[in-house]
Amino acid sequence: MSGGRQARLASMAATAARLETIAGRLLTVGTRLALLLILIGVGGMAARGDNPLGGGAFPPYSLFAIPRQIAALRPEGFIWAGMTLLVALPLGRVMVSGAGFLAARDRRLALVSVLVLLVICASVIAALTLEG
Amino acid sequence: MIAGITLLVAGLLAGVFGSLLGLGGGVLIVPLLTLGFGLPLRESVSVSLVSVIVTSSAGASVYLQKHVANLRLGMVLELFSASGALVGGLIAFLLSEQVLAGLFAALLLWMSATMLHRALARPGAPTAAAVGDDPDPDAAPTFTDTIGGPGYRVRRLPLGMAGSALAGLVSALLGVGGGIVKVPTMNVAMGVPLKVATATSNMMIGITATSSAVIYLLRGQVDPYVAGPTALGVFAGATLGSRIAHRVNTRLLQVLFVVVLLYTAVEMVQKAMGR
Repeated sequence: MSGGRQARLASMAATAARLETIAGRLLTVGTRLALLLILIGVGGMAARGDNPLGGGAFPPYSLFAIPRQIAALRPEGFIWAGMTLLVALPLGRVMVSGAGFLAARDRRLALVSVLVLLVICASVIAALTLEG
Repeated sequence: MIAGITLLVAGLLAGVFGSLLGLGGGVLIVPLLTLGFGLPLRESVSVSLVSVIVTSSAGASVYLQKHVANLRLGMVLELFSASGALVGGLIAFLLSEQVLAGLFAALLLWMSATMLHRALARPGAPTAAAVGDDPDPDAAPTFTDTIGGPGYRVRRLPLGMAGSALAGLVSALLGVGGGIVKVPTMNVAMGVPLKVATATSNMMIGITATSSAVIYLLRGQVDPYVAGPTALGVFAGATLGSRIAHRVNTRLLQVLFVVVLLYTAVEMVQKAMGR
């Protein structure tokens, strides 16, 4: 049993290292894609001659309207799609890590991942339901 | 068209200076948009949060693949920073623009003092204590043992949790990453090496900003026409800044930047007083 502690810690470190690589790759690909979508949207804004500092009303965010806006080649659709992806990226990183910790039977870290996602869910619910 | 380019350049400058000075772009973007372009403070905070997510995701992707960031520690602490951000995101809608401006001015003054201290500190000064006594090799590892890293063990986890919650609150209220609270908490209070603390804080900032950005986004406070060009500029600026950092005298830059922060703080105080 001597050295069992070190072996356990080494196993946990190896799991974390593997998950760090996967999460890092997810963030790399996702950030590039999100920025590309925003770039297309900003290019469309410039081509349409929009003035972002004109003080006028801006189109409200609607997740379900994004596919329709993109199909109509409206710049805001691409920007909203990019921003939605940006906001989803850290969540994706937590989900991937949580699944990896669960697969490695590291229940405490898997539970932490679930709790982080629950806090984000609470943010969404609060934003949709609270007045003021 | 010109306004879009102006926002892109403003984001670029915020990204370059933020990267050179080890700050997120948020602390620069909010005053730029509010004082420079006359945007409402709450809208500037929401745009800043989007930019903070961009810089966090881009930076964390590199730090994670190079195994500099500590994923296990970061996930434990981000539970508390996300909770703080949830509370802050809700409080932000209850506070007036004047109160928010006053809080931002206080943050700028705190950052000025921190940066001046950093600029005047001797280079290579020791930072955190690293490894303590070796525990019994046969004892089962405690939870705190499992979130340490090579060459260091984590200390005072409850203090780290409290610091993270505070960082989340500040982030959501003022549109900054919160690294100014997280990095010293991890480094000085918890014994995490500075390089690991900085990388882990960068990774955590993504979730912290997401917790509150979701609230701003769903409540219609994010202007895509302002946020789009600004986020692109911040990303380009942060990338450029990380490439030229070794050629720039950052100590001189820090001292000059303190002057800019103090000037901005005075402007924010005037805004808080309704002038």
